Amino acid sequence: MDMNEIKEIFFQECEEQLAELESGLLRLNDGDRDPETVNAVFRAVHSIKGGAGAFGLDDLVSFAHVFETTLDCVRSNKLEPTQEVLKVMLKSADVLADLTNVARDGGSVDQARSAQLIRELEALAKGEAPPAASASEPVAPKAAVAKPAAVAKAAPVEPVVNEHGFAPVAFSFDDFGGDEDDAVGDLPAYDIVFKPKSELYTKGNEATLLLRDLSRLGEMSIHCNMDSLPPLDQMDPETAYFSWKVSIKTDKGEDAIRSVFEFAEWDCELDVTAVETGEASDAATDDLPMQPVPFDLSALDGDLDVPLGVVEEEEQIAAAQEAAAETASNVVQMAGNASRAAASEKSVAAAAAQNNAQQASSAAAPTIRVDLDRVDRLINLVGELVINQAMLSQSVIENDSNGVSSINMGLEELQQLTREIQDSVMAIRAQPVKPVFQRMARTVREIADITGKSVRLVTEGENTEVDKTVIDKLAEPLTHMIRNAVDHGLEMPEKRLAAGKSAEGTVKLTAKHRSGRIVIELSDDGAGINREKVRQKAIDNDLIAADANLSDEEIDNLIFHAGFSTADKVSDLSGRGVGMDVVKRSIQALGGRINISSKPGHGSVFTMSLPLTLAVLDGMVVTVAGQTLVVPLTAIVETLQPDAAAIHSFGATQRLISIRNSFCPLVDVGRILNFRATQANPVEGVALLVESEGGGQRALMVDAIQGQRQVVIKSLEANYTHVPGIAAATILGDGRVALILDVDAVVSASRGQSLQLESSLAAVG
Amino acid sequence: MAAKKAARKSLNLAPVLDLNEANALHGQLMGLRGNALVIDASAVERVGALCVQVLMAGAKSWEEDKQSFTFAKVSDAFTKTTQLIGVNIDHLMAKEI
Repeated sequence: MDMNEIKEIFFQECEEQLAELESGLLRLNDGDRDPETVNAVFRAVHSIKGGAGAFGLDDLVSFAHVFETTLDCVRSNKLEPTQEVLKVMLKSADVLADLTNVARDGGSVDQARSAQLIRELEALAKGEAPPAASASEPVAPKAAVAKPAAVAKAAPVEPVVNEHGFAPVAFSFDDFGGDEDDAVGDLPAYDIVFKPKSELYTKGNEATLLLRDLSRLGEMSIHCNMDSLPPLDQMDPETAYFSWKVSIKTDKGEDAIRSVFEFAEWDCELDVTAVETGEASDAATDDLPMQPVPFDLSALDGDLDVPLGVVEEEEQIAAAQEAAAETASNVVQMAGNASRAAASEKSVAAAAAQNNAQQASSAAAPTIRVDLDRVDRLINLVGELVINQAMLSQSVIENDSNGVSSINMGLEELQQLTREIQDSVMAIRAQPVKPVFQRMARTVREIADITGKSVRLVTEGENTEVDKTVIDKLAEPLTHMIRNAVDHGLEMPEKRLAAGKSAEGTVKLTAKHRSGRIVIELSDDGAGINREKVRQKAIDNDLIAADANLSDEEIDNLIFHAGFSTADKVSDLSGRGVGMDVVKRSIQALGGRINISSKPGHGSVFTMSLPLTLAVLDGMVVTVAGQTLVVPLTAIVETLQPDAAAIHSFGATQRLISIRNSFCPLVDVGRILNFRATQANPVEGVALLVESEGGGQRALMVDAIQGQRQVVIKSLEANYTHVPGIAAATILGDGRVALILDVDAVVSASRGQSLQLESSLAAVG
Repeated sequence: MAAKKAARKSLNLAPVLDLNEANALHGQLMGLRGNALVIDASAVERVGALCVQVLMAGAKSWEEDKQSFTFAKVSDAFTKTTQLIGVNIDHLMAKEI
């Protein structure tokens, strides 16, 4: 495992932390005042800062630091998390996410924006705090640490700190200049009780290093409490038994002491008490055998005698690099548990907080990170197993004339087991839609900012799970729709007030499972679709005839047409006319459907229904010209047995079928796919009424319906080559390959376009 | 060749005794129970609290077994770390014979 892989793990963890951060801030925004929520938010930023520090990501560290400082004010109740404050914080979370992305993928961030936010954050930290000394306290001392941290990043590359003395370190000399002249006895004294928990060690922290850093603050004596240490045979080598009582005289203040334990504070009990000067060490030494700690620790930390802060930071980096080599094998062992791997890597302090946060939030459900490829391989194998089991059943049935036999019973059990295995494996790929929904929150914030509208995003059912592939492909269309909802759907605040609504518009995003599919609904309480405008636009764009008689629903659906936009002016956000048709295509490419319903004055609701997975598909198995085909069930609206009277000829070759007083083109699938040379007699077959991309309906003619079943999708492109009109293939119980029909391609072909040229919008990826 | 029971055994500590070594060290010590033990810590460059815990637990067990448990040689780093964390090993240091 090299440094890059470890960095990658860090970024993965950053993503989790950012999600945690955002959801925490949103909870605060909703009025949640649970201290644990504030802590979770603080931990998230803190962890990112810690990890970023270990990798020398200066921009990230400095921004996270300011952010953290302000959050600390909230944590310590110095700053009330009002809506205004949270607005700044949410924006800061966005910038933090940007900085993380830039650190990973390169590129640049909007420097002005982050600088502005830094100013706002600092102002918040100062402004809201109690006046006088304590007001600047949360900012000033930490800022002093932050700058040397930045210098320290450069230190390993150019270790000239010694030669230049304090020169490159941009913090106040007052902090430690002249201290040595003072009589140590006059310095403030502190008693510290430090009890590490076992987690401190499992996360790669080392008590000795913390104590060493502590000893640098001043004159220290220490007592190690070994009372709880069991004999060798009863001990667990990785459990923390030692605890320490430390007396220290330092003028650096309690904050400096606490900052030593900064990255470990969640994994230890720490008690720092200031004692009256003079009494401190006496009181401590009275009841405990304290061992004075020599200030010369050169053997432990090398020969760099750089100021505090620099040492600390520099060692984190050094240790991170050193540890990369030293703990390599160990890291590999733990690769399955990425967070632990990262922890052992950044063996000093950095990762601890990260893990703390992670474990605190996910303690109930331990998780592992698994390569998606491995899961896919497993899914593939289970697919094979299902097919194989079906084949076995079929051959037993064919060879078994007795009907009921023990083999049959065994097979039934096997069938149940395979179905269960299949479901469980599919569940591995299933992920909650939460991350995508969270991203939408940011989209809403940004667009609200740009448009000057006040918007509130309400999400529901974030934990609804759906296949990872679906989630990945969902973000784009959803972003587009959210933009549209805010930009076009919601009115300006004045207009809303005039219409008797609250100035703040609401966009609601919900997800739920419904009959084996996931249904995502996006609704806004805006003005609804302006049907007159849509209609006029459609006429202007030659989409419909000027005298066309359209239902409200049909008009609403016009917005899904390519090249349609009702925005008066083209903005950056939406209104380029590539909006909703692209959305519809993406959704359809996922095997989904999208519907719109709009109520003038009350807003619009977009409903998307998507399959839970792209690895299996519910299909109707049909026979066409002696071939077995599978038609995705999602495309089928209804099936019917055509009546001779309902079939009408139209032109030379076209035929129509009349269904409930409307005509629908009849498409002979066998003819289109060149399975047969002449058109079949519709009366002898079955018609499947399907709905395709354009929204138009077609009656697909097949010879017979064999049944309905779930099939495992096998890519034709990967195993053979693309076949026009065919989306994918599957293997049936009898071992034969059946092709899955690409309904959209067939429908397009029926419109006269050549199937060969049709770039298929496969229903399956 | 075959060591007699209750013979004097020695253990050379590894240069790096960090968090990952605690289990191994524990295993090594467990395998040496019942014997007088001389530990050579002269090669130690880095030692963490967990390993010190194991060593101290060892000292405790050896004491219960009434066997000697001594450090023959210790490195500077080892001494300084134990001092730093307030663990006194003076009484475990081998006396010159």
